Formats: sequence, structure tokens, C-alpha cells
Amino acid sequence: MERLTWVLAKMLGDAARLLPPGRREWVEAVRAEAELVPAGWPRAGWLAGGLWLTVKGAEIMRKIVYWIGLGAVAAAAAGVVWLSWHTSPAADALTVTDRVRVLVGVGALVLLPWVGRRRGWFGPVGGSITARLVRVAGCAGVCGLGAAIVRMDRTVGGGPHGPGPFSLPREIIAAVLLGVGLAALRVIRARWPQVEAGELWGCAAMAGTVILALVPAQGIVIVYLAAILAATSRRSPVANASLGAGAVTGLAAGLAAALTVYELNTQDDRYVPLILLVLLVTTIMSGALAGVAASWLRPGTGEAKELREARIRQGLLAGAASGAVAGLVLTDFGAIAVFMMVLGPLLGAAGGALGGAAAAEHPRRPRPVRSWAAGLFVRF
Amino acid sequence: MSRRTAFSAQTLAVLAALVTQPSDWRHGYDLARVTGLKSGTLYPILVRLADREIVEACWEDGEPAGRPRRHLYRLTRDGLATATAALAATPTPAARAAPPSRAPRPGRAAVPRLASEGP
Repeated sequence: MERLTWVLAKMLGDAARLLPPGRREWVEAVRAEAELVPAGWPRAGWLAGGLWLTVKGAEIMRKIVYWIGLGAVAAAAAGVVWLSWHTSPAADALTVTDRVRVLVGVGALVLLPWVGRRRGWFGPVGGSITARLVRVAGCAGVCGLGAAIVRMDRTVGGGPHGPGPFSLPREIIAAVLLGVGLAALRVIRARWPQVEAGELWGCAAMAGTVILALVPAQGIVIVYLAAILAATSRRSPVANASLGAGAVTGLAAGLAAALTVYELNTQDDRYVPLILLVLLVTTIMSGALAGVAASWLRPGTGEAKELREARIRQGLLAGAASGAVAGLVLTDFGAIAVFMMVLGPLLGAAGGALGGAAAAEHPRRPRPVRSWAAGLFVRF
Repeated sequence: MSRRTAFSAQTLAVLAALVTQPSDWRHGYDLARVTGLKSGTLYPILVRLADREIVEACWEDGEPAGRPRRHLYRLTRDGLATATAALAATPTPAARAAPPSRAPRPGRAAVPRLASEGP
């Protein structure tokens, strides 16, 4: 028992270093008090409570789960690269094209989160579980996109996936547009700090739409990754509730649409109009549903007019997230519906704005004050 | 944004322990004995009370012989008013006991959760 107590005290001392300076003294206090606690199990229990305080204060569990998720995504990305090199027997032009797309996607997957470590548009990740979950799942979805391209190589024999075949000039235009867009955002923020974040996000969304319309799959991957990181960052204007509503409705809509495509897709393409109709309606409806949920969950604070605007804005963002998730899921499973990754966010945003407006007038809801913690967590 | 005023039963127990001798500095193990709370519950409460400036904390002066310095706690002036009001607003201990959802474990200090405790 003495050995256990010694180990716990040592662990407590080491773990205290993980805490911010202002919190360390509390762990030191637990260690100091341990001398007063009767030896044996009571003292071990006391020290274990201090360890719990450290785990809670440093958000260790949350960080562990997050990094495990990121590790899984990195492994999946490596798997996609391996697949792209080992499943196509001949390195013809189309195969090389898709390998380039996969490599660009994986490169973005590595580079953008690295950029996101710094405080800014892409990072650090929001403190909530929703933000971390959506970030990891979104990156996994982008990995799935690479896997879908590789799968198409195997089943169809390779080919352009996206708006047109591979073209170096277009790749360069895409990179330049992306760079100019990001630089413009920084310049606007520096020169005109009074510009509101919502307007900036609107400009970014328009620039993203132009890039998506012009450039092939690589652009889609980069824009999607940037959007995932931006939406889940600490500075994101997308509320947690909107993010969650968008992700859940988008996932459901994407799976439903993928199932529809799978069931109705025939050799003679006679159901194509019906499939398109289902895709469009499903995306708009899921966006509207996300918009209603986001608007409803927006706490009732502020003036009525501002509150209504804020709810509609959250509805629009949730709808866009829903459409993007639906497009990504559908493309992951269908691979032929890359256009839905462009159209999905736009349709979802339209539906979300409508849904948000419809639910914006509901009675004011007080800000939730209940702690979600349980067990040893204590609420005031 | 309005401040939350409803405290958990455990927090009320800590406040009640501190309010009995408001001018005295108390150490954590002393509070744990009085309230029956484990360190994993007591210290998060103390941290939050300190964050809200209801409790002030300091290290013991000097180097006591044979033991490490203790971290000490007591209510601030505002904290005393807050604690007194919170304790006065709660029913008496007998009435405070909510219908138990399950029997308290033997050997563990049962701190009743308030039926009136708001979210």
C-alpha cells in the first residue's frame, strides 16, 4: 500500500505539470494535505482524487480521445495512398491523375491541421466534444473521398472525378485563387477591423463557391478541409448546436441519398431524373431541418430583432453544414456524385435559412446552465 | 448574462462548513472531514468557488516542522453574503432531503441533493 501511495503521489506531482500555472497550486494542495490523511486506502483515495482533479483540469481524456482520432485519420490517409499505388496495375495517365489528386488531398490533410495549431481561422479546435468529433469525422470523410476515388479506379478503370479531367493550368489557377482568397481575408481584417465576422464569412463562402465551381477534385478537398477546420475552430461563428444539428441531419440525408442512388441506379439510366430530384429534395429538407434545430437551440438572449437575425444566421450555417456533410457522405459512398459536394452546401444553406426563419419566433429559451458533467463532477 | 445562484448540495455543504467560522482559514482535509466529501469532489468545488471569488485561498505562512505547508481557504466578504443567502434560501436539512433515487452507499457521507435545486 505504501508503494501504491508513493506511486500515486509521484504521478500527481508529474501530472500537475500538465495544468496551467494557475491550477497547479490546487494539485499541490492535495499533495500537501495527503500527509494528514490516514495512511492506507484513505490516503490513496485522497491522492486519486487529486489525479482526477488533474485529469479534469487538463482535459486529458478529451485530448487523448482527440489525438487517437487524429491518429486514426492519419492512418486512413496513409492507407489511401497505399491503395492508390497498389490497386492500379498500370500507371497510365488517368491513374497518375488520380494519384496526384490523392496526394494533394493527403497533403492538405496534413498541412491544414498543422496550420490550425496556431490561433487563427483554423485553430485551435473548439473546446466542445461536438467540435472535436466533427473535426475528426470530417477529416475521416475526406479520407473516404480519396478511398472512393481509388475504388472508382478499380471498378471503372480510372477517370476524372470532379468537374473535368486533370489540367495543370487549372490546378495553378485553383492554388492562386485559394492563396488570393486567404490573403484577401487577412488584408480585410487588418485594414478594416470594423468589418463583421459574418460578412467576412459570407465573402469566404462566395470565394469558396467560385473555387469549387472552377477547380477539380483537389480544390474540393482543400476547400472542404478548410471549411471543416474553420467551422470547428475556437473562433468559429458556427454554434455547437448548429454544428451538431448540421452533422447529424447531413449524415442521415447523405446515407439516405446514397441508398437511393444505389437502389435506383440502372444501366440504362432511366431513373436519373428521379435520383436527381431525390438528391435535391433530401439535401434541402435536411438543411431546413438543421436550420430549425439550430434556430430553436439558439439561446434567447439579446433584442428580439438581433435574436431573430442570429437564429436565421445559425440556421443558414447549420443548413450549409448539413448540405456539405450530405454531399461528402454521398460522394464517399457513391463517388459519382461529386457535384453534390458543390451543390449540397448551397442547397443546404438555402434550406437552413428557411428553417431558421421559420423557427426564429419561438419563445425565448433561457441559456442552459446545467453542467453536462456527471459522477464526480459537481454542478453549482 | 445572469450569474447562477443555485448551488449543488455538495457545494452547499462546503459553504456551510466555511460559514461556521468565516474568519478562520480552513484546510482541505478539514473541510473533507466535515463535509464527508472526497478530494475528487471537494477540490473542484473549491476551485470553482475560488474562480467566482466566493472563496479565497492562500498558502500557510512559514515552514511548519514535520509537515508540508497547507493550502488554506475561507470565504471572501462577498462570498460570505452569497453563502449566507444561499444557505438561508435552502430548506432545513430534514426538508432538504429529496426522495432518494437509490440508497446511499454504506460508509459514504450521504449529501442529499436538493429537490429545489434549479438547473
